[in-house]
Amino acid sequence: MKDYDMIHHVRGESQFIDDINFPNGTLFASVFYSPVAHGKIKNLDLEYSKKISGVVSIITYRDIPGNNQIGGIVQDEPLLAENEVHYIGMPVAIVIAETQFIAREAVRNIKIEIDPLPVITDPREAFAKGELIIEPRIFSNGDVDKAWNDCDHIIEGQCESGGQEHLYLETQGSFAYPVEGGGVKIVSSTQGPTAVQRAVSNVLGIPMNKIEVEVLRLGGGFGGKEDQASPWAAMAALSAKLLHRPVKLVLPRHDDIIMTGKRNPYSSDFKIGLTKEGMILAYEAVFYQNAGSSADLSPAILDRTLFHCTNAYYIPNVKATGYCCRTNLPSNTAFRGFGGPQGKFVIECAISKAAEKTGMKAYEIQKKNLLKENDEFHYGQTAKNVQTLSTWKAAEEQFRFEQIRDRTEKFNSENTNFKKGFAFMPICFGIAFTNTRMNQANALVNVYTDGSVSFSTAAVEMGQGVNAKIKEVVSRTFSINHNRIKSETTNTTRSANTSPTAASSGADLNCGAVYNACNKILSRLKDSALQELKKDDKNPDKIQIRDEFVYYDGKKTDLGWEELIELTYTKRISLSAHEHFATPEIFFDRDTNKGNPFRYHVYGTAIIEATVDCLRGTYVIDSVQAVHDFGISLNPVIDRGQAEGAIIQGIGWMTIEEVIYNRDGKLLSDLLSTYKVPDIHFAPKVMDVRFLGEPNPVGMFNSKAIGEPPLMYGIGAYFAIMNAVKAFRPGTEFKFSAPVTPEKVLMNLFSCIDETDNITVAAENNKGTSL
Amino acid sequence: MKTRVNFILNNKSIDVEINPAVVLLDFIRNERLKGTKEGCKEGDCGACTVLIGELTNDEVLYRSVNSCLVPVGNVSGKHIVTIEGLNQGDLFLNPLQKAFVEEGATQCGFCTPGFIISLTGYFLNLANKNSGGVIESLDGNICRCTGHNSIIRAAQKVSDKIISENKNLSPEILTELKVIPEYFLTVRGRLQKISQTGSESITDSKSYSCFVGGGTDLFVQRPDEMMNSQIKLLHNDKSLYGIDIKEGYCFIGSNTSVSDLRESEIFKRYFPEFHGFMELFGSTPIRNNATVGGNLNNASPIGDMTIFFLSLNSVVTLTDGVSERDVFLKNYYLSYKKTDRHKNEYMKCLKFNLPEGNYFYNFEKVSKRTYLDIASVNSSVFLKTENNTITEIYLSAGGVSAIPLFLNKTCEFLTGIELTVESLNEAVSIAQKEISPISDARGSEEYKRLLLTRLIYAHFLVLFPEIFKTEDTYERL
Repeated sequence: MKDYDMIHHVRGESQFIDDINFPNGTLFASVFYSPVAHGKIKNLDLEYSKKISGVVSIITYRDIPGNNQIGGIVQDEPLLAENEVHYIGMPVAIVIAETQFIAREAVRNIKIEIDPLPVITDPREAFAKGELIIEPRIFSNGDVDKAWNDCDHIIEGQCESGGQEHLYLETQGSFAYPVEGGGVKIVSSTQGPTAVQRAVSNVLGIPMNKIEVEVLRLGGGFGGKEDQASPWAAMAALSAKLLHRPVKLVLPRHDDIIMTGKRNPYSSDFKIGLTKEGMILAYEAVFYQNAGSSADLSPAILDRTLFHCTNAYYIPNVKATGYCCRTNLPSNTAFRGFGGPQGKFVIECAISKAAEKTGMKAYEIQKKNLLKENDEFHYGQTAKNVQTLSTWKAAEEQFRFEQIRDRTEKFNSENTNFKKGFAFMPICFGIAFTNTRMNQANALVNVYTDGSVSFSTAAVEMGQGVNAKIKEVVSRTFSINHNRIKSETTNTTRSANTSPTAASSGADLNCGAVYNACNKILSRLKDSALQELKKDDKNPDKIQIRDEFVYYDGKKTDLGWEELIELTYTKRISLSAHEHFATPEIFFDRDTNKGNPFRYHVYGTAIIEATVDCLRGTYVIDSVQAVHDFGISLNPVIDRGQAEGAIIQGIGWMTIEEVIYNRDGKLLSDLLSTYKVPDIHFAPKVMDVRFLGEPNPVGMFNSKAIGEPPLMYGIGAYFAIMNAVKAFRPGTEFKFSAPVTPEKVLMNLFSCIDETDNITVAAENNKGTSL
Repeated sequence: MKTRVNFILNNKSIDVEINPAVVLLDFIRNERLKGTKEGCKEGDCGACTVLIGELTNDEVLYRSVNSCLVPVGNVSGKHIVTIEGLNQGDLFLNPLQKAFVEEGATQCGFCTPGFIISLTGYFLNLANKNSGGVIESLDGNICRCTGHNSIIRAAQKVSDKIISENKNLSPEILTELKVIPEYFLTVRGRLQKISQTGSESITDSKSYSCFVGGGTDLFVQRPDEMMNSQIKLLHNDKSLYGIDIKEGYCFIGSNTSVSDLRESEIFKRYFPEFHGFMELFGSTPIRNNATVGGNLNNASPIGDMTIFFLSLNSVVTLTDGVSERDVFLKNYYLSYKKTDRHKNEYMKCLKFNLPEGNYFYNFEKVSKRTYLDIASVNSSVFLKTENNTITEIYLSAGGVSAIPLFLNKTCEFLTGIELTVESLNEAVSIAQKEISPISDARGSEEYKRLLLTRLIYAHFLVLFPEIFKTEDTYERL
């Protein structure tokens, strides 16, 4: 099956924001940002920069005609700093110039004086100082306080998980131009066209219907463009509106890394209670989420941490508390998994520590406590079509777990320089936006008189193949060839009031809407065909379209797709439909934190192996082998690619991807030379993701969402590496701190266990950072 | 400042007056060839990879480079290939492109043209019988979507097929296989006709504010400044190339690229392990463009090349175009990013005594990511022994001081010392007193101290496995 997007990609013909042939007269924007993490602006000197030849304008908050506000969940985020700055990278002014080069030069020449205020980078410190963005969130079930009495083992601990830079290869960017009637049209690299439209409407003080947002495709998103594409779009739109000229704003990589938020780092406490047989009776966790300077999506991310804090396990007594802590860092934001990975990491740490303390194997505790059919989640939902044990057993058998275990033990007994470790990682991830009202979509399907078809949805294509899946749905519903079908750009005029393409739900929601639209047209086509073939028959169910031909009563007729369309048009019957889809049967009460928030869950089990070089502290991930619950895949090539890509991204988060801020709130990992993501050599030699093959009764053609869940297999890499370290240094208690960089591995191998701080490494002086 | 630049871009001849500091990426995109992407502008992502073809011994030799780090002044007389220059007909997919589609080795598509270009470079190099593995050829390209496994499958599949079905790959066969379009066969003749400006030697070195080698450091650090400077591109000075042996010395022209050095027969003969060490230096496109002189003069405290040549006790020759002087590399670095080079001088070459007799050498590097990363700490050693006693030793370390460090005191101590665990432990503690690492993005001070200790042990474990056992190095436990 040919995916035309892929064909354009490999020929270098796919257009991204920076590739659009901009009209003559286009201006270029560059953003001046705060060099200080917290303080009061004493003076902003734009005079020199304004005089540079080619500078057209420098825009500050004073020039904003509407509200200087782009906060989504909480209105706490100005587009441009007014009197205070809250993080390094906070936009202060926009320079508009004839060329990108001049705009950058002007930015370099802006001077700002700031009276510094105390800087907080650590979420626990923020909590201690009362810097909470929302009220604490508590999810609970059963009674943990009573349950501790029934436990034979109670283990407590603390763990840290770091941030993660999205590193979408295409940086944030927008192109905006004024249109007649005082409106603007914006081409944006955003996952949320409606979010952009709302933000621009608010900033410009004009109604949403005067703003058209268009998205062609994204060079990667991973959550980083769900909420945080909006400021750049708003700045481009603001500039275009004020100057009556087209304006392009594409962030250079360095600016993008400094100014945008990342995956929320967490510091967490856990307490886990087990019987002597290894059954988990009670689990309590406190999550200190590093939200950065404003709410952004952090409250919703925190909720998902609480939803997924028990991962794939059934625990009768749970209490999970989440604090959304305000710090002087760029506002952290959505990143594939959306808080789920942070929650799951903590319980895996708890199980790992419980295993050490009780002498049981972690994988035995994991397996014993896997969720079963009809178990109730701590948020009140009943687990259905559970695939925990089925994927676990399939992984054990298909990947010959006993051989893995024996060969690891043998290797470790024979080698001192190198040690091996492995870990199981089961996952369970709920599908739906946990904010119920977002679970809707609409779609426009047009059938043209020549029989070609186009669809236009809210789904943003960012490499996840959502358009190919939608095309598959159109193809199956009409029973026509793929080459008749074209996906259109995502556009707020064709699809209004849409949810961002996020939460793994892009395919589910938009396939649903397209399916409804296709069926609307299909029923008209059937009526039309019936009229043509059997005027006296009133039962359109006797009509079917199969492989581009009309069948009547199961028999093929001479009426082909193209003639049918022509005929229907002639009868003056609509060949277009605009339909809506709302995910059924979901609800959630945010006061009791109970409900049925997810349409279904995605399950799976991975086994990950790693080898540690104990001389140098380096490591390789040898293998990732998983049995994943894909449902019945709409496109196996795409789904396998999503799984593999997510897994590596998860491993990257757990291993080499280290976001480092110093205590002044300055990002030290601010270039690709200091922030390292997996490269081709990093790819495990063995990457074997197998399809469980169980249908999803509530999914489109029995399929399941795929975008986020497999990322969480990556957590297994942390434990595989640490298990190898433990094989070298048995009996030592290590801090739980991800990512487990080669630095942490070496320190764990050889040094006394110390207070190496993961999030804010004490690197006061980075002058020596080498290039 | 403008220069005339004359080259072939895909199938089109280019002849322009232009600021030579404009990077090739910007030039290409201004030509409305948008398949070459800007991902980072620091040579770390590979989205802007292009091929540069250069006439070498009457053949066109193609190499992949990061076009974001190539000053356009460096491409005169060359053939530049972008993804558009590989496409043949509407919607036609060549075998490489087809393999990527079949394996789903492209998701968002932003990095993909760079991968296709690098892979094409691999096959063109196979035709020239000069190449590492197919996966290594993609070590300068980052994909954030796929995790690379599907890319590995696609690359392996197409290379297995092409190589198994074609014994001798030539440009002609590659055109028959539709890997490259037919116009490639005309390029050699066209390049021969492009008037070569010839070798530009320097007469008035004072008029330049900056000398540029490959540009892989300067254009990462200060591209805008380069645009406004009187830069001198050493690239076009043919006298600065080459690796020669004269009177017991090995001479390396400062413009010699890391790839050239890696492939040189002299290095393969005297330092067969060097080829493997240098796989850890940057990436294929960086190595193709980065020069020895550039790496040494960037004066990074962590330069891989610098650390290696420090351990060969090398001497650098500086010139202002008129007179020359020699400086020991170990004396060349004065303070952070400051060298003994005067403003009007540039590096002509580097030389070292060709080793003979019973010599040992090793290079160690640990970075956060093993490949295409800058070391947290690197170290290199060269030594000679007689009866298990060190007669001569040069040990260097990067990332542990403001300059690339020659470990003088440690070397002094080890000279004349018998190779024993005790002497090694003593050497390690002397080294600790010589270094002054700082905490930064590449690691804490404490880590770098520990890591250097480990790497010194590693040198001796690798070189003398019969004397040292791993357990000997665990005394800190």
